[in-house]
Amino acid sequence: MTINKSLFIQSSTQGYRLLALVLVSLILMFADNRFGYLQQARYYASYAVTPIHWLSEFPQSLSAQISDVFRSRDELLRENEALRETLLMQQYQLQKIDHLSAENQRLSELLNASAIVEDIVVRAQLVSEAPDPFRKQVLINKGTAHGVYEGQPVLDADGLFGQVISVEPYYSWVQLITDSQHSTPIQVNRNGIRAVVTGTQGSQHVMMMMNMTDTADIVVGDILVTSGLGQRFPAGYRVGVISSIVHDPGQPFVTVTVEPTAQLDSSRNLLLVF
Amino acid sequence: MPASVSRHSQGLWVIIASFIVAALLLVMPLPESLDYYRPEWIALFLIYWVMALPHRVGLLSAWIIGLFVDVLEDSLLGLNALVLALVAYLALSLYRRLRMFTMLQQASTVFILIGLHQLVSFWILTVSEQNTSPNLMFLVSAFSSALIWPLVFYGLRYLRRSLHVV
Repeated sequence: MTINKSLFIQSSTQGYRLLALVLVSLILMFADNRFGYLQQARYYASYAVTPIHWLSEFPQSLSAQISDVFRSRDELLRENEALRETLLMQQYQLQKIDHLSAENQRLSELLNASAIVEDIVVRAQLVSEAPDPFRKQVLINKGTAHGVYEGQPVLDADGLFGQVISVEPYYSWVQLITDSQHSTPIQVNRNGIRAVVTGTQGSQHVMMMMNMTDTADIVVGDILVTSGLGQRFPAGYRVGVISSIVHDPGQPFVTVTVEPTAQLDSSRNLLLVF
Repeated sequence: MPASVSRHSQGLWVIIASFIVAALLLVMPLPESLDYYRPEWIALFLIYWVMALPHRVGLLSAWIIGLFVDVLEDSLLGLNALVLALVAYLALSLYRRLRMFTMLQQASTVFILIGLHQLVSFWILTVSEQNTSPNLMFLVSAFSSALIWPLVFYGLRYLRRSLHVV
């Protein structure tokens, strides 16, 4: 046998090696968590994981392509017709919006308010979710190569989806608005009351409206939109709808539950706001 | 078996490829209800390789793989590195016993190792004020990992033997 030293691993030095590695990891975590020194290192290291993201995305994009190829003509015609109909309806609604936004612009000019800026949006695809079920975080297929930056708002067709919290060269991580670490400054659409909604722990997609007094003018069904305060999210995007209000005399504030309007667990196509 | 010179580096690519597969299994999308039951693939594969080839896969490789996982799933840098090094350490001190164990004993050891893995990362996440579980559901994946262990064990052993990784 040529195995000499490696028949048994000397375990006396292993303890010291473990101790050293644990110490290095603790220092790394502390630096990462408290100071963000490692942003740059993480960014370059993420080149190494890009192939894994790409491979995990591959079956999804392949099956989408295959189902595109094998789509029947009838099906396409039907879909085309349905799409044309919704386009017509939306163009009809847009006509009114054009008029309203022009009027709005004139009014705010009269009030000497700043001009309303048109947002530029770019489409992105959801690639995967964070493997840890306790973090509400998803991966999208746009990165710094496409101009994505940290803190960028992400929408889907129905409302605010989340914000970019870490960027990689070709992918980036988006924290959902229902993550317990995430808060969104909002405004009640009906009367302009400002508040903050915060995500919750657990896997359900609900949010809580914080610090609302018993007498606040809110009712179930109120639509909440971003207020633009905090300068993270542009004003006016839908965030959620109040789904329940519980008045508990023992609590200083009302417990207000908010249902997000964005399809947080099913949207594939997202929009990045620039 | 042709011995000596190339012996040490033989089949390194098999080990690396197996960890790439584990990483893919880690990020593979699952239905939301099954997310809690996702086995800790990386830790399982690590336990197998430490048990089979303790002179090649040890603490340092576990730590580096952990850093890779941290970047991959965008968790706190060093978190997975620490817990995987811990798992590798325990597996290194147990590997002679693990090899003699029956499958049931092995699976229960794996259950305890993965449970510790989960518990330590839970502690670290709590201390660092990251998102944590409001309940004990984070321990469920230790159970599913123990259930899937026979498959991992026989699969990787078959791979190792047929590709002569020593």
